Amino acid sequence: MKKIGLTTTVPVEVLITAGYRPVDLNNLFITSDDYSKYIEIAERDGFPKSLCAWIKGIYGACVENGIKEIVGVIEGDCSNTKALAEVLELRGIRVYPFSYPQSHRKEDVEVEIKKFMDIFHVSYEEVEVVRKRLNRIRRLAGELDRLTYSHDKVSGFENHLYQVSLSDFNGDADEFEDELETFIMKVKKRDGSCKKVRLGYIGVPPMTIDIYDFVERFDASFVYNEVQREFAFPRCEVASNIYEQYYDYTYPYDVNYRIKEIKKQIEDRRIDGIVHYTQAFCYRAVENIILKDKLNVPIINIEGDKMNSLDARTKLRLEAFLDMLGDLKEVSCV
Amino acid sequence: MRTLGIDLGSREVKIAVMEDGRIVNKSKVSTMTFYREYCSFDGKILVDLNKLEIDKIDKAISTGYGRNNTDLRMFKAINEIKAHVYGGIYQTGLKDFILLDIGGQDVKVVKVEKGIITDLDLNEKCAASCGRYLENMANVLEIPLNSMSDYYDNPVELNSTCAVFSESELIGKIAEGIDIKRLCAGVSYSLYKRLKPLMSNFNGKDLIVTGGVATNKAVKHYLERDYENIISVEEPQFNGAIGCCYYGESFL
Repeated sequence: MKKIGLTTTVPVEVLITAGYRPVDLNNLFITSDDYSKYIEIAERDGFPKSLCAWIKGIYGACVENGIKEIVGVIEGDCSNTKALAEVLELRGIRVYPFSYPQSHRKEDVEVEIKKFMDIFHVSYEEVEVVRKRLNRIRRLAGELDRLTYSHDKVSGFENHLYQVSLSDFNGDADEFEDELETFIMKVKKRDGSCKKVRLGYIGVPPMTIDIYDFVERFDASFVYNEVQREFAFPRCEVASNIYEQYYDYTYPYDVNYRIKEIKKQIEDRRIDGIVHYTQAFCYRAVENIILKDKLNVPIINIEGDKMNSLDARTKLRLEAFLDMLGDLKEVSCV
Repeated sequence: MRTLGIDLGSREVKIAVMEDGRIVNKSKVSTMTFYREYCSFDGKILVDLNKLEIDKIDKAISTGYGRNNTDLRMFKAINEIKAHVYGGIYQTGLKDFILLDIGGQDVKVVKVEKGIITDLDLNEKCAASCGRYLENMANVLEIPLNSMSDYYDNPVELNSTCAVFSESELIGKIAEGIDIKRLCAGVSYSLYKRLKPLMSNFNGKDLIVTGGVATNKAVKHYLERDYENIISVEEPQFNGAIGCCYYGESFL
């Protein structure tokens, strides 16, 4: 099966129908022991220091792992991705374009997905068969998510790890389904480990993966991973076709659409505070202004750059934030 | 209910007593005297409340200078930054502000949003932006600390990064025959200049200034350039101790 690299979640159903094995370049980059080497490769090839580390890491991971074809998201993700796709094209990598239309109209989403299907010569009917198959796995991810926030049986990190993997099903949907089923069976036998402070994680998945373990030291845990959950398409069951499924996806569209879903989750999951992660040099840090204003819970914005662990200052800030959230929780519990 | 809050500072120990949400007693003791006269050590520091003339305490909370032992026996020790934020909230009623606390050796800048700390920074390496620096410079000028802070116009330029080098730089300016008012203003301005880089990531409308240096009129005058409202609290030096009381009454 031919590999195809992804720079972000795209209608993977189309690629699988076309006989591809999708590989999320983000996961390839961040799970590598050599993650910093990938950044260095990009900087050596001319990527500026003052550019998001994800873009550079994706570039390095792509060229070093011999990926020959990628899907480049040219609308709905960052404009850096557009330039990244252009450089990869220069390096001889074939780039297939995909857009999440900024208008966020159902008709426009449909047009883009139809274009995508045409590129890969697959029919709507064939794609729907694959979509229904994959949605069985998405439902399992939903169950895992419920076990996180309703039963406290899944840690924030485990929740993150499994949901983020649904962008490419770890390259093999059948194998991933088995793994997920086994994991769910295992965690159901666990005793729930309820922490005092219930946190939401919003923003792109972190470079600093140790954040999940770090917060648990202060009797807190993440019971919501916003974007990772979106990668898993938690509302796939209410979508009657692929167009609706990708229309009802918050991450690539405008921030107010995202906020509606976040607000709902804050309430359903009884979230006490939010950690908003943004990447250094990313426009999403500006959206923090709107998120802070619209969400009615305390928010701390933390920024990651090239390190894959939290720095001392960020730890101190998180500690103070969690300490005070814990105080408030004590009062509200009385 | 009576709650005792003790803030163990580097120069002075501040003590506050809160009774049903109101501060009813405040006192200050030099740090050296506090440990020597009012404490004994038996595995943990034991404070002699009788000697301090404090009685009928239901709860006791301690905080203070992070590098020292602030964990007193029978007291609940809380983080110093948190203590100051609670002090700021109690004394102003605000939930969104920047807090600047300048003590004897420490500077803290804290961003508070919706009543919670969301960002903070501390000075490191040197205390040249703290109270001790002002005290030393006032000694060099042979002028009381309070009087020194009356002057802020046309400050003489003092550029040394180090507090000790600043003293010799100041002496140089004295030797040049520069007016005492400009010398005084120069001292306060040099402290403000050192604060500025620390504060550059903490933009906002309301700045609450606490700690001993909050009584310095000149420093506050310079800070008015950067913030819409400079909010002074009634007892800037007792803010940490008051925050301890507030914490005790609200959360314990």
